[in-house]
Amino acid sequence: MTKLRNVAVVGFAQAPIVAADEHHTGPEMLYPVVQAALESAGLERSDVDYQCAGSSDYVDGRAFSFSQVLEVMGAWPPVQDSHVEMDAIWAAHLVWVKMQAGETEVAIVCGFGKTSEGSPAHVLNLQLEPFYAAAIGLDAASTAALQASAYMARSGADDRALAEIASKNRAAGAKNPDGQLREAATPEQLMATPWAVKPLREGYLAPIGETATCMVLAVEGRAEKICDRPAWIQGVDHRIELQALGARDLARSESTTLAARNAFEMAGLASASAADVVELGSTNPAEELILREALGLPASARAQGGPAINPSGSAQCANPLMNTGLLRLAEGFRQLSGRAGERGVPGAKRAVVHASAGHGLQQNIVWVLGTERRWS
Amino acid sequence: MSEPPKERVKYIDTNLNLPYHYYAGDYKALYLRALRDKKILGSRCSKTGKVFVPPVIASPESLAPCDELVELPHRGIVTTFCVVNVPVIGREIEIPYVVASVALDGADVSLYSLIQECAAADVRMGTRVEAVWKPDGERQGDHTDIRYFRPTGEPDAPFESFIHRL
Amino acid sequence: MKTFPKPATIEPMSQRMTVAFPYKRSTGEIVGRFLAGLRDQKKIWGLRVSRQGVVVPPQSYSEVDAKAGGEWVEVSQTGVVTAVAEVTRPIEGLHPSTEPFAFVLVKLDGADTAIAHVVRTKLDRLRVGSRVRAAWAPDGERRGTIRDIEAFEIVD
Repeated sequence: MTKLRNVAVVGFAQAPIVAADEHHTGPEMLYPVVQAALESAGLERSDVDYQCAGSSDYVDGRAFSFSQVLEVMGAWPPVQDSHVEMDAIWAAHLVWVKMQAGETEVAIVCGFGKTSEGSPAHVLNLQLEPFYAAAIGLDAASTAALQASAYMARSGADDRALAEIASKNRAAGAKNPDGQLREAATPEQLMATPWAVKPLREGYLAPIGETATCMVLAVEGRAEKICDRPAWIQGVDHRIELQALGARDLARSESTTLAARNAFEMAGLASASAADVVELGSTNPAEELILREALGLPASARAQGGPAINPSGSAQCANPLMNTGLLRLAEGFRQLSGRAGERGVPGAKRAVVHASAGHGLQQNIVWVLGTERRWS
Repeated sequence: MSEPPKERVKYIDTNLNLPYHYYAGDYKALYLRALRDKKILGSRCSKTGKVFVPPVIASPESLAPCDELVELPHRGIVTTFCVVNVPVIGREIEIPYVVASVALDGADVSLYSLIQECAAADVRMGTRVEAVWKPDGERQGDHTDIRYFRPTGEPDAPFESFIHRL
Repeated sequence: MKTFPKPATIEPMSQRMTVAFPYKRSTGEIVGRFLAGLRDQKKIWGLRVSRQGVVVPPQSYSEVDAKAGGEWVEVSQTGVVTAVAEVTRPIEGLHPSTEPFAFVLVKLDGADTAIAHVVRTKLDRLRVGSRVRAAWAPDGERRGTIRDIEAFEIVD
C-alpha cells in the first residue's frame, strides 16, 4: 500500500437543522458556523490556506450560488477556493486529495443549501437523465420507493423490517441535540403513518430541513496542534453506478461494496464489522438495509453486538440537502474525538462513514476514520 | 420494418418551472422597509469601522460581525459610471442614460443607481449627487423607492476621496 | 452617522417566484430515432450495445464501457414490473397525473434493462412481478416523447 499523507478532521460546526430559517439567507446561516468551526479549532481565518464548498444552484434557486458564500467563508486577501455541485462530503474528499498533493495544510469545507426555499421534489427531478427519467416526473421520494420495492421483493424484507430500522434510528435521533426529528417512535407508531410513496411511509423519511456546516481538515504536523483528539482519515474511496435506474440492480449497492473494499484496504480494516461505529448516509430504512448488506452488516435492527450503526439517527432523522453527507463525516469525528455527548460510543477507535449522492444510492463514498494515524 | 424511423425527433422541449420562496434575511428586510420611510441603512464592521450599504451581517473583508446598523445620508459621489446607449426591454428611460456607482457619504462601498436630471455627458467620476425619492405614500419598500440620484451642483470630490469606495 | 436601533423582532420578508428554464434539448441520433419509433410506429426499440445487452430505452453509447454504436432490436410491448412506487399524493407541476398513480420499472420481454414509466389503473393489484403492457397515446397526440407511451397497464 502506498504511503499517504496523514490528514485529520480537526473541527466541525453546524447550524441547527430546521424546517425553514426565515430570518437568514444561506450565507447568513453559514457565517456564524464558519466562525464557530474556526474558533473550536483555535484558528484565525488566515491560518486556513484552502476552502471548498458543496452546494446546488437549483436548491438555492440562483446561478453560481457558491459565489454568494465566499464573503462569509473568506474571500480577501484572495484565497484559493473551489466548489463541488454535490453534497459537501465530496468537497471534503477534494480537500483530502489536495492535501495528498501537498498543496494545502489547513482547509475548511462548507455545506449550505436553503432547501426550504425551493421544492426538493422539483429540484431533484433534474438530477435524472432528461429524456426518459426526468421526463416522466420522477422525484427523489419516488425513486427511493422504487428502490425499496425492488429490495423488498428480492430480500423478503417487509414493512415491519423497515419500521424496526426506522424506529431504531428515531430512538438514536432523540439523543442527538443537532438533529431535526428528535422524538423516538415505536415500529407500530411508524407503521401507522401514511404512505409517503408506497412502500415508504412518512414515518420512514426525514422532513424538509436546512442547515449550514463547516468542517476543518488539517495535515499531520498541524492537526495535533489544532485538535486534542483528531479523527485521522485512514481510507476513502467513492464509486458511482449507471445513470439509468432501470439498468442498475437497484436492490443492491455494488458501488458501496467496491468503495468500501478499497477504503478498508487503504485503512487496513478487515471489514465494517471491525469498526466501532458505522454512520450511513441512508435517508430511509430500505437504503439502510441495502447498505448494511453491501457492507456485510446485519440485515436487521434486532441484531446484537457489532458496531454501533447510525448513532446520530442517520439521514432518516435529518436530511438537509448538500449537508447530509458531511454531517455523517462529522458524526464520525464527533464519535472518535469525544464530542458526541450522550450518544457517544465508549472507547470508539475506528469509524466507517458512508454518504450517498444521486437517486437510488447512485454514488457512494466510504471513509474510514481512526484515532490513530494510518501512515508513519 | 427492422429499425426505427431514419427521420428522428430532433429536440425535446423541456419547460422547467421551479417554484421558490426566497427569504431576504433580516438585514435586507430592514433595509428595504427603511426605504419606505425614506431611510438608507448600512451596517458597520465591528473591527474596521467600515460601513456597508446595503447592510451585511459580516464584513467580507475582515470577517468580523457588523452588528451596528446605521442611517446613511442621502448624498454621495459618483465613483464610476457607464453611459447606456442600448434600449432595455421594460425600461422606459430615454437613451443615452447613466448608471453609476454612488458612494454615499460615510459609506465604504457604493450603491448602483441611475443618474438623471442632467445630460449623460455632464456626469463625471467625482460628481456630487443626491437621492430623489418617490413621493410619500408611493414608496413600497423596494429598490425603486429611490428613483435616481441627481447632481447637487457642489464641486466635484477629489479622486483620492473615493478611489477605494468604487 | 446615526445608529439605527434594531427592532426586537423582525418580520421575515419573502417573495414567491417561479423560475422558468425553457430548455430545448438535442436528442442526438439514437434517442431521437427511439422517440420517432414511439411517435410514428408505436414500436419500442432497444439498442444492443457493448456489455449491456439490449438497452431500453437506448442511449447513444454503452453506459458500461462508453462504446458507441449498436444494433436496433424491437422489443415486446409487454414485460415484467421490477419496481413499484405508488404515489398517493401527486405533486402538482411535476407528476404526470393528479390522481394516485404508480411509477414503475418495467423489463420488457427481449430487453436487458428496465424502462421507467407509470401505471394509472388497477393499482391494488400492481406489484413487483406483475405483467404489464404499453398503452399508447392516440394517433395525432404522440409528440415524440417518452410519454407517447401513455402508461403501462396490467395484463390479465
